Amino acid sequence: MFLEVKNLYKEFGGVVANAGISFGLEKGEIVGLIGPNGAGKTTLFNCIAGYYKPTSGKVLFKDKDITGWPAHRTARAGIGRTFQIIRMMERLTVEENVMVGAFCRINDREAARRDAQEILELVNLEEEANAHPTELPIATQKRIELARALAIEPELLTLDEIASGLNPLETIQIIDTLRGIHKEKNLTLLLTEHVMEFIMRISERIIVMAAGRKIAEGSPEEVARKEEVIKAYLGEKYAKGK
Amino acid sequence: MVGKMKAVVGILKDTFSFNDLPLSERIAFAAFLVFVFFFPWIVHASYPRVVMIRFLLFAMYGLGWNLIGGYGGQVDLGQAKNVGFGAFATALMITWWGVPFWITVPVGIIVAVAESFAVAYPMFRLRGHYFAIATLCVALVWQKLFLFWDWTGGARGVEIPIKSAPNFTYMQFGTIGYHYFIFALFMAEFLFMNWFRKSKMSYELQAVRDNEAAAASLGINVTWTKVKTYLITAAMGAVGGSFYAVYHLYIDPRCVMQLDLSILIAMTAMVGGAGSIWGPILGAAILIPLDMYLGALLGGKGFYGIDFIIYALIIMVIAAREPRGIWGIIERARRRGYVLRG
Repeated sequence: MFLEVKNLYKEFGGVVANAGISFGLEKGEIVGLIGPNGAGKTTLFNCIAGYYKPTSGKVLFKDKDITGWPAHRTARAGIGRTFQIIRMMERLTVEENVMVGAFCRINDREAARRDAQEILELVNLEEEANAHPTELPIATQKRIELARALAIEPELLTLDEIASGLNPLETIQIIDTLRGIHKEKNLTLLLTEHVMEFIMRISERIIVMAAGRKIAEGSPEEVARKEEVIKAYLGEKYAKGK
Repeated sequence: MVGKMKAVVGILKDTFSFNDLPLSERIAFAAFLVFVFFFPWIVHASYPRVVMIRFLLFAMYGLGWNLIGGYGGQVDLGQAKNVGFGAFATALMITWWGVPFWITVPVGIIVAVAESFAVAYPMFRLRGHYFAIATLCVALVWQKLFLFWDWTGGARGVEIPIKSAPNFTYMQFGTIGYHYFIFALFMAEFLFMNWFRKSKMSYELQAVRDNEAAAASLGINVTWTKVKTYLITAAMGAVGGSFYAVYHLYIDPRCVMQLDLSILIAMTAMVGGAGSIWGPILGAAILIPLDMYLGALLGGKGFYGIDFIIYALIIMVIAAREPRGIWGIIERARRRGYVLRG
């Protein structure tokens, strides 16, 4: 198993955000993680990437126990991430933002700059290299987040709502970009999203969460037909009517 | 072996190269260096020479502070403690044992870095204002300790024995000698900063300043990055303190460990422009003459304290209108195209 989450619990005071989540990813998979607001998706992401310490349970990455590792260590181990709320280094240029990511592997500045330029080309941002990120539209900033995460050369890339706030055209464009990167870099992708159009199109497999638990798992078509999923999204009434 | 050679060449190139800066800035800085170099020949009056030395000293303090405060974004209001460690290491070792100045400097650095390392981890658990308050408190504690301790001279301070002739072992000479001495130290720190601003560490530090969570997601150890920087800043403060001791030949905890000093050091960088290489130099060029001329002029006429009011006004205007200081104003104007690009 490439990534394995075993019976993961995360509690904040009395609130249980993740209650015994277990799932696994194979190398090269694209897996979507969906669920209504407050289902615990972002918490789960933060537990995997080391921003939170799980209350109990285990996270194994390439058979290594990385439970509770701090974020910079998981990044160096090969887990890249983007943030639900955009986090730019606003006093650095777009290129420098990506360079900081490249510095994770490279010590030489000019080598890091060349790397950053290549990655910016990959996500179609070469024109914006010298702009400051906060001057740019949201869709572009999301791409910068993606470029920056790619710059550490992750093996597993976790994308937290990369398509939220994008219009339909931008969503299709980012799907294309992600597919291209997935193929070229042999990445494993784990995504969360509210935009069903996006997640259903890109994912090979979908995990559904509700109220901190995993309630379903399967191919996009299977999951969309499951009663528990409809119940979680639309309520009892609609599930029974079906 | 070849790789190592290449790395060394790269470091040297980064230290001495200003090619990434606009031509206008390079010309202005070259003119500034020529001016400072010939200053003692142009100006023969002693007071302006003293002002010049103080300016260079504070520009140097500011360059050091700019690391943690400007590039790192951590407002440190306790740099005076490091100046004090350097000054006391030098003054005490020369007075007690006659140790040459150049040996006391590394000792001062070691003391400042060791103390800073000891307090850094608990302090960097704090952020923003709370961090600033913690640095201020630590510096005050050290000042009080040095005031009460007898073995450091207490409140009476330390007087360094004066040599009869100019002396390179203890670095005692006339004003012109001190001018070139501090100019050399200033240049050393400036060149270090010129290397630093282009280094990997500088990018990582700025990433931490702008967004800690994002920096961590890129494999940067946020706390260690801050601690490292804090230690370099401490070392640079200690060097300034060592100079201060042999320049004044008398120190006490009220002049080298005072809160005013910490604040003035932070102000030079912040008024000039924190996080830019020119900021501390600009800030010192404005604040030090203002302090020394306005204070003397108005104080002489009985208007005590007016200089402090003007001081405070400048700080308030900078803080409210342009937090990136004078350099921020210049850069903004340049982006609008008022100033020609180099």
